[in-house]
This record gives sequence, C-alpha cells and structure tokens, in this order.
Amino acid sequence: MHFLRHSLPYALALLAIGTVWQIAVWVSQANVAILPPPLLTLATLWELIANGDLAKHTLASLSRVVSAWGISVLVAVPLALAMARSRTVERLLDPVIELFRPISPLAWIPLAILWFGIGETGKVFIIFVATFFPILLNTVSGVKGVDPVLIRAGRVLGCNNEATLFWRVILPAAMPTIIVGLRIAFGTGWAAIIAAELVAAQSGLGYLIADGMEILRSDLVLAGMIAIGVLGVLIDSIFRFIGNQYDWGPA
Amino acid sequence: MMREDSHSKSIEVSNLSMTFRSDDGTSVNALAPTNLEIEPGQFVAIVGPSGCGKSTLLNILAGFLKPSEGQASIGNEAVAGPSIDHGVVFQDYALFPWLTVLENVAFGLKSQGLGWSERNEIAMHFLDVVSLRDFADKRPRELSGGMKQRVAIARTFATKPSVILMDEPFGALDALTRRFLQQQLLKIWSESRKTVLFITHSVQEAVFLADRIIIMTARPGRIKSDFLIDMDHPRDFSSDAFRRIEKVVFDSLDEELAKTFGLAANQLQAD
Repeated sequence: MHFLRHSLPYALALLAIGTVWQIAVWVSQANVAILPPPLLTLATLWELIANGDLAKHTLASLSRVVSAWGISVLVAVPLALAMARSRTVERLLDPVIELFRPISPLAWIPLAILWFGIGETGKVFIIFVATFFPILLNTVSGVKGVDPVLIRAGRVLGCNNEATLFWRVILPAAMPTIIVGLRIAFGTGWAAIIAAELVAAQSGLGYLIADGMEILRSDLVLAGMIAIGVLGVLIDSIFRFIGNQYDWGPA
Repeated sequence: MMREDSHSKSIEVSNLSMTFRSDDGTSVNALAPTNLEIEPGQFVAIVGPSGCGKSTLLNILAGFLKPSEGQASIGNEAVAGPSIDHGVVFQDYALFPWLTVLENVAFGLKSQGLGWSERNEIAMHFLDVVSLRDFADKRPRELSGGMKQRVAIARTFATKPSVILMDEPFGALDALTRRFLQQQLLKIWSESRKTVLFITHSVQEAVFLADRIIIMTARPGRIKSDFLIDMDHPRDFSSDAFRRIEKVVFDSLDEELAKTFGLAANQLQAD
C-alpha cells in the first residue's frame, strides 16, 4: 500500500510522457530513425534487458560512479572535518575551493582524456571532481551546524578528547546534513558519468547512447535515456530511505 | 576512566572576574572579582537580574570558559576544563536527538567504562526516579519540554558527579510543569545529596529548593547578599515562614532591579 501510494505518481507521469510522445510522433510524421514511437522504444529497452546489454552498461557506469564517489567520501569528509573544526585550515582551503567549485566537472573532460587517456582512470577522475564539492560543502555545514550545547553536553558527559567527541557527538549530530551531501553528490556524479562516457568510452550507458546516435538508432538512444532516468530515481530513493533513518527531528 | 561513587565536593571561587572582549575592541565586564565558598552537599541557588553574570560564573565552574582573573576550584582542585565529575544541566536540555531516552541517560555511563547491561540497569533506575521508565525507548522529539528536562536531570545524576551545576533548568517551562519538576529534582537530589549550584530568575523557586540563596548585582556581577534557608522539605509555598523569606529575598533583589531599570526601589514595589 505504502509502495503503491509512492509509485502511483511516477506511473501517471510515465503515462503522460508516453501520451505526449505518441502524439508528437503522429503529428510530426517523423522518420522512425529520428523519433521512434514509445512502444517501439519500450520493445528496444526490453531487448536490451533480455540480451544483458543494459545490465552490462549499467554495471560499467555504476561501478565508475561508486568508486569515484567512494574516493570522494574518503577525501572530502576528513577534509571537511578539519575545515569545520579549525579556522586556520578553513582560511587556507576556502579560497582554493571557491575557485575550483564554479568549474563544471564536464570542463575537466578534455584534460582528463589528455592526462589519463580514455581508460577508467579519466572517468573516475571526472566523477571525483563532480562528487567532491557537494560532499565537502555539506559536511562542513553539517559539522559547523552542530548545536554548541550538544558539544558542551558531550564534554561534561565524558568525551575528553576530540576523537571521542567526534565519534559520539559531532558525527551523529551532523549525519543528516552529511547524508544529504552524499545523495546530491551521487546525483551529480550520475549525471557527469553519462557525459564523460558520451565523449570517450567503450562501455557504460553514455556509450550506449552515443553509439545509438552513430548508427542512427534513436530508439537505442531513448531506451538508454529512460534507463538513466529510472536508475537515477531508484538510487535517489535508496539515499532518501537511508536519510530517513537519520531523521530524528529536533531534540 | 573508572566510575566511582564520588562524594559531594566543595566549590571555592576566589577573586574570580570575567571580562569579555569583542573583535571591535569593546569590552564587557561581566563578573567583578567574586569570592564564594560552598560546602559539600549544599544546595545553593543564585538569583539575579538578567546579565548579572550568574551564567558566566556557572560556565567558568563548568570549565566552558576561562576566567580573566582569579580561580575557580571544585573540591580544592582548580577547574581545568569540563569534567564528567562536574555535572551540568542546561536550560535547553541538550539531549542527543539521535539517541533514545535510555541511551541518553546511559551516555555518560559509557564514558565511565561500564558494560552494556550495567549501563542499562543504572539508566533505568534513574528513569524510574523521574517517572519516565515507560519512555525509555522513545526519542527526545517525542517528549514534552518538561519530560526532556527530567531526562537531562536523570542523565546528569546517573553519572554520580560530585557537584551539579544547573543553568536555569526550568526557565523554559510553564508554571505547572515547573512545580512538578522542582519536586522531582528534590526527590532525586535527596537520594544523593550532591552539591548543587542552581541558577534561576525565580525567587519562589529559589526559596522552595535551596539551602542557601545568593543574590547577585547587575553588571558587573557581584555577590550582593547571601541567605541561609533553614526550613525542612517539603516546603509549603503558602506558609508564613516561606512568605517571610521570599519577602526578604525580594527586597534585596528589588534594589538591584531598580538599579537596572533606573527606578527607586519603592516605585518598583508600588507596581
């Protein structure tokens, strides 16, 4: 029942998109290679699922995002803690971060190809850039936003050093904000991997789309796009579910 | 760190003063040189107008602030920083929202190195004392303000600190809840008779709870008068003896309020 109530709006949205799409096909009388009807696209999507191609490409894209996102977590979270707890570190790093932040991760694609070629490293690098800032900035604001009275309470209840205080008070108190950062980062990483794979890849959902364009199969392109959208929503809902476990509300 | 059932300790404050300096160069003299001695096991209430430095004094004793001059000691040891032996009850409860009520009460016990079952047993006992056993598995957000403060009081008493500092703990509660919590505080306090320093705006609350009432002056804060209250518990708000003491304390306080608001003391009483 719970599941139904949440998936119903999505089902209706899909139905509406399909209808508009079908009408567009009828009205424009477009060539099937340019704008295939929704049912044909669904058949192509089903074919990609059945022959295992979709799973293969999804796995390729996902593993790149997951590994780069993981590296980002390992680098950005400790860095953010240092920034949030020390004025000196913050003053030192803040200008650097502010200068790099406005540069779209996609702007790094040419350099990534020059430096690392079209192998895995370059893509992981781009996703690292894309996921780094949301994690860093959310963790900084989460840790800075911890109510000072909770830190005092932790200290008078026996957290004698910075490490104990961090594990028992600061980290759990900042967790809701940190999780938001992890979720946003995964989203930007997911968007960036497709772009990176469009330019230079032999596998992945971005490659599937680029390949569809080259062989004039827009049904493949659209099937790939649908897969990207659906997977994005699924991943986001997993993060939301995890986030809800940490939604304890105000004390 | 091992847990020991520590005895109540004395509090000594000598020539303690505090001046806050802000970035723009101005400074505020929050606490004039102050001397104070509190015997072990005494329940002392500090009453004074807003901005009289009573919270500053408490924050120095708790180890949250370093004094500009002078020294604060607990049990003849200079306060070097926050310690689990010096319990603090905050005005806004400061419960950890991600923990259950039971886990909140057991938080300090974990720092004291107790095992899981022992922690739970002690925490449950203290929840029993504040009549919240049935709420052990709830989160703080599911509790009313009064219940939260009872949890916070249980959390502080559970670690058996040798002094307990309470910073306007009932200031945010309505009058009825306040009365109930005052009674519960006396109940939990009478179990252990810890040294308590209790800051409040309410004269009635001070007279109801304390063995000794200290009145502080408006900024810069200084001790103005010091009363011993020799009355058995439970005290009756409407008794003559209670009213008499209340009047003496109010008279002393009115002079300070008059200074704060620039009025004559008799004008204030006429209102």
